[in-house]
Amino acid sequence: MSRFFATGSDSESEESSSAEEITPKATGTAFNKNLLLSDDEEDTKRVVRSAKDKRFEELTNLIKTIRNAMKIRDMAKCLEEFEQLCRAFLKSKAIVDKEGVPPFYIRLLADLEDYLNQLWEDKEGKKKMNKNNAKALSSLRQKIRKYNRDFETEIANYKENPEQSAEEEEEKEEAESGSYSESEDDGEGVTAKSFMKKKPAAEPAPEASKFLKGAADDESESDDDDDDEIWGSDSTDSGSESEDNEGNAASLALAFLKKLRRSKRKERAEEEAEEEGLEQEGGEWEKVKGGVPLVKEKPKMFAKGTEINIPVVVKKLNEILQARGKKGTDRAAQIELLHALAAISEENNLGQGIMVKIKFNIIASLYDYNPNLATFMKPDMWKKCLDCIDELLDILFENSNIFIGENIAEDSESLAVSDQPFRVRGCILTLVERMDEEFTKIMQNTDPHSQEYVDNLKDEGRVCNIIDRLLQYLENKGSTEEVCRVYLRRIMHTYYKFDYKTHRRCMGIQGESKSEQDQEESEGEDSAIIMDRLCKFIYAKDRTDRIRTCAILCHIYHHALHSRWYQARDLMLMSHLQDNIQHADPPVQILYNRTMVQLGICAFRQGMIKDAHNALLDIQSSGRAKELLGQGLLMRNMQERNAEQEKIEKRRQVPFHMHINLELLECVYLVSAMLLEIPYMAAHEFDARRRMISKQFHHQLRVGERQPLLGPPESMREHVVAASKAMKMGDWRTCHSFIINEKMNSKVWDLFPEAQRVREMLVRKIQEESLRTYLFTYSSVYDSISMETLAEMFQLELPTVHSIISKMIINEELMASLDQPTQTVVMHRTEPTSLQNMALQLAEKLGGLVENNERVFDLKQGVYGSYFNRDQKGGYQQKQGYQRDQKGGYQQKQGYRGGYRSQNQSSY
Amino acid sequence: TLHLKCASEKPPFGGPCSTNTLPLPLSQQKWVVMKIIKHYQEEGQGSEVVQGVLLGLVVEDRLEITNCFPFPQHTEDDADFDEVQYQMEMMRSLRHVNIDHLHVGWYQSTFYGSFVSRALLDSQFSYQHAIEESVVLIYDPIKTAQGSLSLKAYRLTPKLMEICKEKDFSTEGLKKASVGYENMFEEVPIVIRNSHLINVLLWELEDKSTVADKHELLNLSSGSHLEKCLQMLMDRVDEMSQDIVKYNNYSRSLSKQQQQKHQYVQRRQQENAQRQSRGEPPLPEEDLTKLFKPPQAPPRMDSLLIAGQINTYCQTVKEFTSQNLGKLFMAEALQGQGS
Repeated sequence: MSRFFATGSDSESEESSSAEEITPKATGTAFNKNLLLSDDEEDTKRVVRSAKDKRFEELTNLIKTIRNAMKIRDMAKCLEEFEQLCRAFLKSKAIVDKEGVPPFYIRLLADLEDYLNQLWEDKEGKKKMNKNNAKALSSLRQKIRKYNRDFETEIANYKENPEQSAEEEEEKEEAESGSYSESEDDGEGVTAKSFMKKKPAAEPAPEASKFLKGAADDESESDDDDDDEIWGSDSTDSGSESEDNEGNAASLALAFLKKLRRSKRKERAEEEAEEEGLEQEGGEWEKVKGGVPLVKEKPKMFAKGTEINIPVVVKKLNEILQARGKKGTDRAAQIELLHALAAISEENNLGQGIMVKIKFNIIASLYDYNPNLATFMKPDMWKKCLDCIDELLDILFENSNIFIGENIAEDSESLAVSDQPFRVRGCILTLVERMDEEFTKIMQNTDPHSQEYVDNLKDEGRVCNIIDRLLQYLENKGSTEEVCRVYLRRIMHTYYKFDYKTHRRCMGIQGESKSEQDQEESEGEDSAIIMDRLCKFIYAKDRTDRIRTCAILCHIYHHALHSRWYQARDLMLMSHLQDNIQHADPPVQILYNRTMVQLGICAFRQGMIKDAHNALLDIQSSGRAKELLGQGLLMRNMQERNAEQEKIEKRRQVPFHMHINLELLECVYLVSAMLLEIPYMAAHEFDARRRMISKQFHHQLRVGERQPLLGPPESMREHVVAASKAMKMGDWRTCHSFIINEKMNSKVWDLFPEAQRVREMLVRKIQEESLRTYLFTYSSVYDSISMETLAEMFQLELPTVHSIISKMIINEELMASLDQPTQTVVMHRTEPTSLQNMALQLAEKLGGLVENNERVFDLKQGVYGSYFNRDQKGGYQQKQGYQRDQKGGYQQKQGYRGGYRSQNQSSY
Repeated sequence: TLHLKCASEKPPFGGPCSTNTLPLPLSQQKWVVMKIIKHYQEEGQGSEVVQGVLLGLVVEDRLEITNCFPFPQHTEDDADFDEVQYQMEMMRSLRHVNIDHLHVGWYQSTFYGSFVSRALLDSQFSYQHAIEESVVLIYDPIKTAQGSLSLKAYRLTPKLMEICKEKDFSTEGLKKASVGYENMFEEVPIVIRNSHLINVLLWELEDKSTVADKHELLNLSSGSHLEKCLQMLMDRVDEMSQDIVKYNNYSRSLSKQQQQKHQYVQRRQQENAQRQSRGEPPLPEEDLTKLFKPPQAPPRMDSLLIAGQINTYCQTVKEFTSQNLGKLFMAEALQGQGS
C-alpha cells in the first residue's frame, strides 16, 4: 500500500490497517472477502510497531466494545469481551510491568464493577432480562470481583478522583498519537476528540465507495490511480497529523514520500500490464496492500537524490519488515531486499549500528523463510545464514561500543554515529540458538547414510565456531543468564564427542606423523576441562532448572564416555535425577536415557558388570530402547499415535551422528546379564520360586531353545545365547570363543575406544564366572577338588581361585571348606538332595493350603478377614461379642421381669 | 452288604505269579490276576491306563471273580466303535464256552496310585447302580514291579451312592450325607485263591528259586519313587489350594449378599411400618430370590475327590517309607555284621 510510505509513526500504520479492515468488507466477492478478512486480521496483528502501542491498542479496542455492550445492556457480549480483555491484558504483561497498569484499564474495571453492581441491585431490570443475559451478568459479576482484587489500590485511587485520572489518560492518549481515538471511529468512545471526530466521518465512506468501484472494474488501471489518489489524500492527512506529533523526521519522510510517489506511479503504469496478466485476484489485492509490488521495484529503493541517512533507512527497513509474515509475501525477495538495503547503508557509510540492525533482520527473515516448523532450511539458505551470523559477529567484535539486547526498546535505539555507543534491539543469542536448532533439523532430515549427511556434518565445525565466538562475546558482555544459555549450547556440542586427542595422549601413543592439523588440534583445550569449566559455571550460576539438569546430564555423559566411571557415577547419584526425571520434558528425558546408557556401557568397560546391568536394565527391559533414546520411531498402529504426535516425536529425534549403537548396547546388556545370571541359575537350581535377574536374557535363552535346528550362531544374540549355554556347563573356552571372535569384534567390541582392554576384562570375567558356575553345578559330584586343578582348568592364577572360592564360602553359596596344606576344597555336602528339595517345596505348598483353609474357617466364624490380621479382627469380634452380651443381658432382664411377674402371679 | 472274598490264603511270598482263582471246579480262574497284569504289560505304558471287565458270581456272602477280559484300546480312527456292543458280544461268546458271564465289575490300572478321579467315580457309580455287587479292581503295576503285588478292590459307600443318585454335590448335600474323603470308597478285602494243584506248584517253585530272584524286594533305592509321589502329591495340593480359594471367594460373596438381602428386608419392613402408620397399604412383597440371585456354588465333589486322592498318596508314601525303613535297618544290621 502506497500509504505505507507515510509511516512516520506507529500510529499511522495502525490507522492504515484499520482502514484496510474496512475496505475488503465493502468489496470483492463473498469468497474473496472471507479469505481476505482473515488475512487482514492477521495483518493487523503482525504490523510492526512498538509493542506497547500494539498491546494498548488491542486493550482499548476491547474496552470500547465492552462499553458499547454496557450501553445496550448486552451482558453476554460484555462477558465475552471481558474474558478476551483479561487475556489480552495478560499478554501485554511485560509492557504493563514496565509501564504500570494503564489508567484506562483501571477505569474500565472500576466502571464495569459499578455498573454491574448497579444492575445487580436493580431487581426489576434483572427480572426483565432474558435468561442468557442474567446468567452472563452473574458470572461476570463474580469474575470481575475476583479480578479486581488484584488491582484494589489502583481502583481505589481512581475512585478517589476519577476526573483526574480520566484527564490524565486523555492527555496521554493524545500525546501518544491519535491511534486510540482514531480506531474508535464507530462511535462515541471514551475520549472522543474533536479533531478526530471529523475523520471517521470523512474517511471510510468515500474509501469504501471507491473500492466498490474498484472491485467492479478490477482489471482496469484506473483502479490503481484511484487508489493512489485516495491514499495520497489520506497520506497527506496523516502526514499533517504526524506533523503535530512527531518532529522533523516525519516531515522529512513526508517530503520523501511525496517525491517517491511521483516516480512510483510512473513505474507502476509500465509494469501494470504484465503484472495484471500474471497475478490472480488475490495477488492483486496484495499488490494493493503493498508487500509484493515494493519488492518488484527493488532496484530503486530510494528515489534518486534522496539523502540517505539513518532514519530513512530505518523507515525503509520497517516498511520491508511490515510485509513479513503476510501470506503472499515473497520471502526470498524480501531477503534480497534486506541485503540490498544493507549494501546501500554500507555504501553510504551509515555506521555499524544500522548494519547490525539490518543483519539481525536478515537472519530473522532467513529463519522465517520456512513457513512451518517441520521443514528444514535449504542448503543455500543455511550457508547464507551462517555467513550472516559470522559477519554479524565480526561487526560485534570489531566494535565494542555496540550494545545489543532484547530489552532495548525500539524507540530507545541509537543507531547514529556519535560519541554515544550504539544501541540496537535484537538478541544475538536467540539467533544463534535458532541456528543451532536449524542445524539439528537439517541433520534430522538428511539421510544418515548418504554423502550429503557427511557434507552437512562438516558444517558442525562452523556451528561450533560460531557458538564459541558468541561465547567469547557474551562472556564479556552478556548477563549470566545468557552466558549459561550459550554455555549449554557449547556443552551440547561437546558432550557426545569422544576426545581422541586426549585419549591418545593418555595412552602415550603420539601420532608418528605429526601433521600440522594434529598439532593444531593438540593445542586446544581438553574437552574434559572445557566441560568441567562450563558445567561448573552453570551449576553455580544457573537459575533455571532445565539448563542445570541438561548440563549435569551432559557432564555425566562426557565422563562416562571417557571412562571416568567414578566421577560419572558420583555426579549421577549426587544429582538425584533418578527421582524426578519423569517430570522433565521429553527431550531432557531422552538425554537422561542416553546418559544412563552411556553410564552403563562405561561401567561395563570398567568391569563393573552389576552396575552396568542395573544401569541398562530399565532401558533394555522395555524393549523400546530405540524410542527411549530418541533414535527412531517404533512401528505402531495409528490408534496409539496420530499424525500430529508422530510429527512431534520426529522432531525429538537425536541426529544420527549422536546415536548410541543399539547393538552395542544390547550386547553389553546381554553379556552382563549372562555373567550375572548363569552362576545365579546354577546356584538356585532347586529353588521353588526362582526369581530372574534379567527377563530379557531369559527370553533370549528361550528363543534359542525353541530353535528346531541349532546351527552355528550368526547374530550377536545367538552368539550370546550359545556362550551362555557353554558357560552353564562351566566350559569357559567355548564361551570365550563365542563372545570374542571375529564377528563379535567387528560388530561390537571394536567400537570401544579401548577395545583390547575390554576384551581382556571380558575374558577374565568369563573365566571367573565359569568357575563359579562350575562349582555350583558340579560340587555335589566332588568330595574335594584341588585348587590347582581348578586354576588350570580355568586358566586363572591360584590366588584368584582361592579368593573366588573363599568368597563363595563366606557368602554361604558353597558348602565347603578350604584345606590349606593340600590346597583343596573339601565339600561338605550339606545341600539338600532333590528329594529333600521336593519335600521342602511340598511343605511350603502345604503351608499355603493351610493358610487358605484358615481363611475359609475364619469366614465360617464370622470374621471377615484373613488369617493374618486376625488380631485386629479379633478386637472387632470381641466387640460383637460384647454387644451380644449386652443384648443377652437385656433379654435376661426381660426374662427376669417375666419371672418377676410370674412370681407375682404365683404369689397372688 | 456284600463281601468280596477272592478266596483262599496267599502263598507265603505273595509274588506276582500268584493267581486269583475261585474254588469252583469248572473255572480256570487263575487267569484273572495274570490276565490283568498281562493286559497292562502288553498295552499300557507309563501313565497310560488300561481297563477291562470283571466276570464272576456271587456265592453266599462272597463275590467270586472268575474271569475278565480287557477293553480294546481306543484309537482315533475307530471312533464309532461301540463298547457296549463289544461287551455284549464278548459275554455272549463266553457263555457259549460255558464260562461265568455275569458282569461283576471292572478293573483299571493306575499310575503311582492316582486313580481317585471323577471318571472313576462316575463309571463305578453307573456300574454299582446297575449291578449292585460291582467292584472296581485297581492294579498298580509300578508297585507290583517293585516286588509286591498291589491289587485293591473298591466300592462306593452307600452314602456316596445316595449323593450320586441325587446329583447333589453342594456343600449342604455333602454335609447332610456326612460324606468325607475317608468314607467315599470302601475297600473290600481280597483273597486270592488258587487251585490246590497250582498251590503245590507254587510251593515247589518257591523251594527251587534262588535268593537272587527275590532281590527285587530288597531294592534299597527309594528316591525316584518317592520323588514321583511327592511330585504328584504337590500337584494335587496345588489343585486343592485353588479349590479352596474358589470356595472362599464363593462364601465371601455369599455372605456379602446375605447382608445386602438382610438390609433390604429391614428397609422394607421399616417402610411398611411407616406406611402403616400413615394408613397406606403396605408395599407388595417382592420375590427376594429374584432380586438376589445367589452366586453359583462351586461343586464340592472335586475337592472331595482331590482330598481322597491326596489321602491315597499319603497312604502310599507311608506304606512305602515304612517298608523302606525296615529295609534300611535290615541293611544296616547286615552291614554291621559284615564289617
